[in-house]
Amino acid sequence: MRIYAICVYLFLYIPIGVIALFSFNAGRHASQLQGFSTKWYGKALNNPFVMDALETSLMVAFASALFASVFGTMAAVALQGIKGPVRTAFDLLIYVAVMIPGIVIGIATLIGLVTVFDQLNPLIASIWPNGFEPPKLRMGMGSLIAAHTMFLMALVVIIVRARLAGMDRALTEASSDLYATPMGTFRQVTLPLIFPAILAGFLLSFTFSFDDFIIAFFVAGSETTLPIYVFSSIRRGVTPEINAIGTMVMGVSLLMLITAQMLLRRGGKKTK
Amino acid sequence: MENGGYVGDSSPANKKAIAELRGVSKSFGDVLAASDLNLSISAGEFLSFLGPSGCGKTTALRMLAGFETPTEGEVLLDGEVVNTLDAHHRPVNMVFQQYALFPHMTVAQNIGYGLRQRRPRLPKAQIAEKVTKALEIVRLSDFEDRKIWEMSGGQQQRVALARAIINEPKLLLLDEPMAALDRKLRKEMQIELQDLQRQLGITFVLVTHDQEEALSMSDRICIMREGRIVQIGSPQELYDRPNSRYVAGFVGTSNFFSGNVTDQNGGLATILLDNGMSVQGTPGVELAEGQDVCISVRPEQMKLHRQSDGVKVEVHNRIFLGEHTEYLVNHETLGDFLVLSPRQSELNEGGFEVGDQARVSWDASAALILNPN
Ligand SMILES: Nc1ncnc2c1ncn2[C@@H]1O[C@H](COP(=O)(O)OP(=O)(O)O)[C@@H](O)[C@H]1O
Ligand SMILES: [Mg+2]
Repeated sequence: MRIYAICVYLFLYIPIGVIALFSFNAGRHASQLQGFSTKWYGKALNNPFVMDALETSLMVAFASALFASVFGTMAAVALQGIKGPVRTAFDLLIYVAVMIPGIVIGIATLIGLVTVFDQLNPLIASIWPNGFEPPKLRMGMGSLIAAHTMFLMALVVIIVRARLAGMDRALTEASSDLYATPMGTFRQVTLPLIFPAILAGFLLSFTFSFDDFIIAFFVAGSETTLPIYVFSSIRRGVTPEINAIGTMVMGVSLLMLITAQMLLRRGGKKTK
Repeated sequence: MENGGYVGDSSPANKKAIAELRGVSKSFGDVLAASDLNLSISAGEFLSFLGPSGCGKTTALRMLAGFETPTEGEVLLDGEVVNTLDAHHRPVNMVFQQYALFPHMTVAQNIGYGLRQRRPRLPKAQIAEKVTKALEIVRLSDFEDRKIWEMSGGQQQRVALARAIINEPKLLLLDEPMAALDRKLRKEMQIELQDLQRQLGITFVLVTHDQEEALSMSDRICIMREGRIVQIGSPQELYDRPNSRYVAGFVGTSNFFSGNVTDQNGGLATILLDNGMSVQGTPGVELAEGQDVCISVRPEQMKLHRQSDGVKVEVHNRIFLGEHTEYLVNHETLGDFLVLSPRQSELNEGGFEVGDQARVSWDASAALILNPN
């Protein structure tokens, strides 16, 4: 059993380790090690295409994580207050949203948005004042952020709900017993106590969005995110530069995941 | 007589009612948690809800606090119906069972919480001053900057108390505040709570399932059973004149013998016990001939002796308690019962050992005739 587990881990992590190792390769071929060097990191960070893609990725990740955290928290708090079939229906939908494969979300968002845009664009053009160029809705940063937000919101709802459920109901009751309005209770008691969970949700969302290739591939339009850039470069062969990018992305993601995990653990203890 | 709708002594005479329950019921789905509660709470009194777990005490308290809306009836505060008034608008504060202190705030921040919600805002200095004073009252002066989890159970309870009384509420509601404390601390806190209540003149409503606690602290006790109020009265009234076997058994201990009424004359009634014996007793409730009843005799009102009157018993157990000796005795057909013998009479007439044959007798005035349930 233990040997089996070790094999599984080796199978999972050896390729990742190899990528990290080869990113420090002094030679230009991905297949043979020729001494240690960090020059590929420098090269990657000086490549304007990489930096462009990174900027797009960061913006998308930040915006969708922010929207997902805000709307997800609002949804979680609201869901806490309702019971019965409505609640059950929402619970189900939220879990479905998390479990649906990225490719389905990608295709569905693409088809949905394209259909809507096709309907709306002539309408906008028809009401736009003559002589001005009417704006045209198209796939791009906006659709990318929307698609990510939708999927990540469900994730935030689940994380925040778990924290809310672990919070003693008597705390909010005590607050209103001490004359705080519902808004005051939310601001002074609920929010501070669930904040670690929200932050963890934000970090996880950021990581998911930053790393996502599948959904972005469908809805990014002409935008290039970092995973999309890596994907298209690989078609020209794996270079140490790609390895360096991959290693950096992995490092940042890992750091965020660990931070999120720590936030969830620490905050969990405090509300008990 | 039915258990429900007991309205007898629901308010002490000529005192101003600060809160009232009028025919209040509350159901959660199929569960009737509180049923037809009628009660008037007067300013400055210490009232307790006493009953076993699940009898609806917390529900009654939560309707006063504003966390539950009655299904039927009216809740009044200061003469006004407040059924649907939100908790944060009620001049009432609660000490929660697990204290519900805010874990992300210091002791002082917890205590000042209620004052910080006031609009228009109170000056910071004034809040700080009141917090200092509240800390003094609960004897936690050096703990203002502590975190909640750095405080012991007893200290947390005092913080919860300070957090409530600093607002000078019309009613202070306490839901089993001593349940989480150990025995010794509980005794101390009971005394402290009573002192506090006298000192501040705030009306206290306490929920407890501990009869000793209710008896020692309250001006009046409201005995509850399965969502209903079965009797309201001072500790002495409840002890001396319980209106049912349930109350007699809940307030103090008593010996019960069941039977039915055969005759009534003057202040006494004759009861034919189930074992065929006929005894005299004092009616504690309205009686009709043939009615099933239960006789209650307190252990300290029974006399254990060697004379020829009374019922024949054998001593099964003996516990020496200092000023009293408690005997568990057995009668052939009446079964086991408890007798408390004062030390002085034992010194005069001699005590008893396990296995001794003896007789037990009691006055007809000590045998209270009650409803059998
Ligand atoms: N929110 C609730 N939902 C459903 N049932 C409840 C709720 N609160 C109390 N009850 C039920 O009402 C009854 C009385 O409860 P409670 O007032 O807490 O009793 P006590 O405080 O005397 O132990 C119990 O049977 C309990 O299960
Ligand atoms: Mg209770």
